[in-house]
Amino acid sequence: MRSKASRHEGGGSRGWGLTVGLSLLLGLSGPGSSWGQEEVLPDGFSRQSAPAKPGAEQIEAGKRVYFTKCVWCHGVEGAGDGPGAVRLWPRPRNFNAGTFKIRHTASGQLPLIDIDLFETVTHGLPGSAMPPWEGILTEQQRRDVLAFVTTQLVQDREWQDEEFEEFFVLELDKLTPKAATAASIQRGAELVGEKKCIECHGLEGRGDGNAFNLKDDWGFSIQPADWHKCWNFRGSRQDPYNVANIFRTFSTGLNGTPMPSFADTTSVDERWEIANYVNALCERQHDIDIAEGQVTAPIAQALAEGEPLAIDPLTDKPKSNFVIPAKYVEGALPADEHDERWKLVPRRWIALGGQITHKPRNFVNRLDDVWVQTLYNDTHLAIMFRWDDRTKSVQAEEPEWDATEVNLEDYGVAEQGPQGTTFSEDPFHQESIAAKQKDGYPVYNDGIAVQFPIKWQELPAPRKPRYFWGDETFPVDITKWTADGTLGVYEGTGWDQDFTEVDFQEEVEVVKAEWANGRWTVIIQRPLKGDYDEVAYLERGQYIPLVLFAWDGHNGDVGRKMAVSAFYYLVMEPPIPTTTYIYPALIAVGMVIVEGWVLGRRANRRKRNGSG
Amino acid sequence: MTWLKLVEGYMPMQMISELAGSILVFALVNWALKRAGLGVPKFWAGVGVWLYIQLYLQYRIYPPIPFSVRAIYGTVSGCGIFMWVSGSEGEWQEFKRPILNVMDGISGVHRAVRLGAVIVIPVAFGGFAYTSFLPSFAEPIELRTVHPAPPATTKVHGKTFVLQVVENPYRVNAAGNYDQAYTDARIVEQAMGRLMKDVNDADYNPWDPDAEGYIKYVREGGEIFFQNCHFCHGDNLNGRGLWAYAFNPIPANFTDAGTIAQLQETFVFWRVSKGGIGLPGEGFPWASVMPPWEQHLTVDEIWKVVMFEYWHTGYYPRTWD
Repeated sequence: MRSKASRHEGGGSRGWGLTVGLSLLLGLSGPGSSWGQEEVLPDGFSRQSAPAKPGAEQIEAGKRVYFTKCVWCHGVEGAGDGPGAVRLWPRPRNFNAGTFKIRHTASGQLPLIDIDLFETVTHGLPGSAMPPWEGILTEQQRRDVLAFVTTQLVQDREWQDEEFEEFFVLELDKLTPKAATAASIQRGAELVGEKKCIECHGLEGRGDGNAFNLKDDWGFSIQPADWHKCWNFRGSRQDPYNVANIFRTFSTGLNGTPMPSFADTTSVDERWEIANYVNALCERQHDIDIAEGQVTAPIAQALAEGEPLAIDPLTDKPKSNFVIPAKYVEGALPADEHDERWKLVPRRWIALGGQITHKPRNFVNRLDDVWVQTLYNDTHLAIMFRWDDRTKSVQAEEPEWDATEVNLEDYGVAEQGPQGTTFSEDPFHQESIAAKQKDGYPVYNDGIAVQFPIKWQELPAPRKPRYFWGDETFPVDITKWTADGTLGVYEGTGWDQDFTEVDFQEEVEVVKAEWANGRWTVIIQRPLKGDYDEVAYLERGQYIPLVLFAWDGHNGDVGRKMAVSAFYYLVMEPPIPTTTYIYPALIAVGMVIVEGWVLGRRANRRKRNGSG
Repeated sequence: MTWLKLVEGYMPMQMISELAGSILVFALVNWALKRAGLGVPKFWAGVGVWLYIQLYLQYRIYPPIPFSVRAIYGTVSGCGIFMWVSGSEGEWQEFKRPILNVMDGISGVHRAVRLGAVIVIPVAFGGFAYTSFLPSFAEPIELRTVHPAPPATTKVHGKTFVLQVVENPYRVNAAGNYDQAYTDARIVEQAMGRLMKDVNDADYNPWDPDAEGYIKYVREGGEIFFQNCHFCHGDNLNGRGLWAYAFNPIPANFTDAGTIAQLQETFVFWRVSKGGIGLPGEGFPWASVMPPWEQHLTVDEIWKVVMFEYWHTGYYPRTWD
């Protein structure tokens, strides 16, 4: 292990004065350092003493856990530089400095081992590669590994260092959340402006306020949280929509990041209002327009009443539904997102993953979902795509390649290498991915594409064209929009085959394409029918397979470097036939007749038996 | 509800043993009550058990099983309960007594129940018919073969591998010879936590600076795994990676006894090399995002990563004999 290079060097031996054992935090007692007692505790905090130092045996047991499970990302010396580190964003934690994000302790202080770090290991850090270890490691193993990490890999600080370490602990259990009423949410929205949260998190909280310039303590690019995706909050503890987690983050800040603690500048009451507002912004069943954060009473009311999304307990993400329903509407299809008729049809949450099947792979996809809604009339289908993207990316110069070209390696588009197990060997660590534009890296176009099979009616179920731009036997119809305003309809015949332009482009129309406050809204209208042999011929009442692709230009997404969905089905729901109402009525009448017959027979039989 | 873990996935053995166990408990309680002179009428016991099974199937298993499967279980359990209540003439009479009492309306309460039933039954049938006539577009069920039969040979990076005879060149003992028993003794412990056997022994810890041979290759395989595979298959190889939620079919769970533990190492080599696109039709090659790893890794790297997967999960590859 690396020698301890820290500010404590030469500090001499310090007695622990505490028994070795479970490092339970004791309530406040005992002598704190003299200057510490004069300090004023922030509102809602209490002083606690340091945990006991774990025994050598437990540290040894933890080492065994660490080198089986953790070393692969966090590295031999815990510097967050294991083999997996380079292709991860966010990167694995570097333990050496004792800097931990999710804590109950005041800003800058070490976390509580038995609560904060234990819960991090137990529940993982959603939105990062850190998985929940509950059910994989026993509780004892999780505590053991923390004994190893906190004593051997945290090298610059020591929990038991009485001279330097204090523990002001947020007493979350003793505080009662304020009810998330419309008034509280509205006040929270005002405070978010007053306390300048919006400077980084953006007017509507999609993390688009200062997306380029933020770095963490190690110089890595870091981006403000998107409040609309609470299931990706690192501190959500597999319990999104729990306002207490937001309150905790807001009270203690995230050490090592630009997110400060607001404990000294806000009252407990104000913090609950802000937490209520942030929690209310997390996506609900219906989209709620928050008018650039100018939350009026009716908006606050809608936010207070919004029904949270169902969360899948296996993934801790919203539940997927693989059927995208389209409803029939009379007349012209909606031309913008404010049209009331969008309320006729549920919106679907479509998860995206990085494209990692073929080179160049995309290991750090910044787009992880798209919301989709569809409506149709007698001639056309309208698809509305809405997705959060912190940056509007439009390629400054005309691309060197043609819109139909897919093999862009010749133009220098490459995937991120795996190399570098230490910072100095890692060619990517200096660079901030989102800061590419500033640093002279190319920015490509944002984009979205939807793929339908051509002649899907003839597919022998469950056969489909390959998800990745079709195959030779079953070509696909790809409608692709890019932020430079290009809309193309192409035929795809394979992941490495250039697209062929289809004579349908003129018929398809982008009626809306707007980036505002960290979100794209793109509405595409296309005729239901075209040349049967060249484009997907959309028919109602059928399951039509589709796949989505999305590109974030500031992430270097272009060509095959993109985010991709699984197969979904578009179903244009036909109007309900009248037989749906007639047959059940007939069946009910039939049942009444049957009942009468059975009861009549029974009564007759009793009469006979009684009289006989 | 973190204290109650749902039956994850569809695990028939766990489900059936839980159901059988709870029904045994019911039988014991019923017997005890009878002894105490508080016997539950046969009718209510039968209906109660049947409802219990239905509720169990609906709420205990996640993700939910389709209605058609629940209907099969409902019918089978209904038949079983029918046999139980009609075991003898006396029992059968006892079972149907409450039904006949209602039909006959022997008291005010029974007449009220009869009136209720006369109204509720047609409404329920009509309602059920309405919901089944209403055009509904549920997610279609598509069944996919997870482990299709492998081919006899596979060609990777220009070299033909006969799957029946090929051996993992890195599964070697200290002398450098292929030795499955030697390597099997050095995998992680097959117990909760699945940890390496000794962290301070270069024979068992891939990260020991003195690790050589097999255990060093495990580390190299692990490095490849954590640069390429964990995004889907997860940090613990349990199929719960960063993007597992976005893809369908979901990534394989190697810690499950039904995946690599059931397979020969050469089968895994073939699947890794050829990926989703190399599957036969029953494996849904069009939907799988599994890369054909021959496009990204060398033959040596594939063998090492396969060996790492066995090391990390504590399973032995199946052998041909």
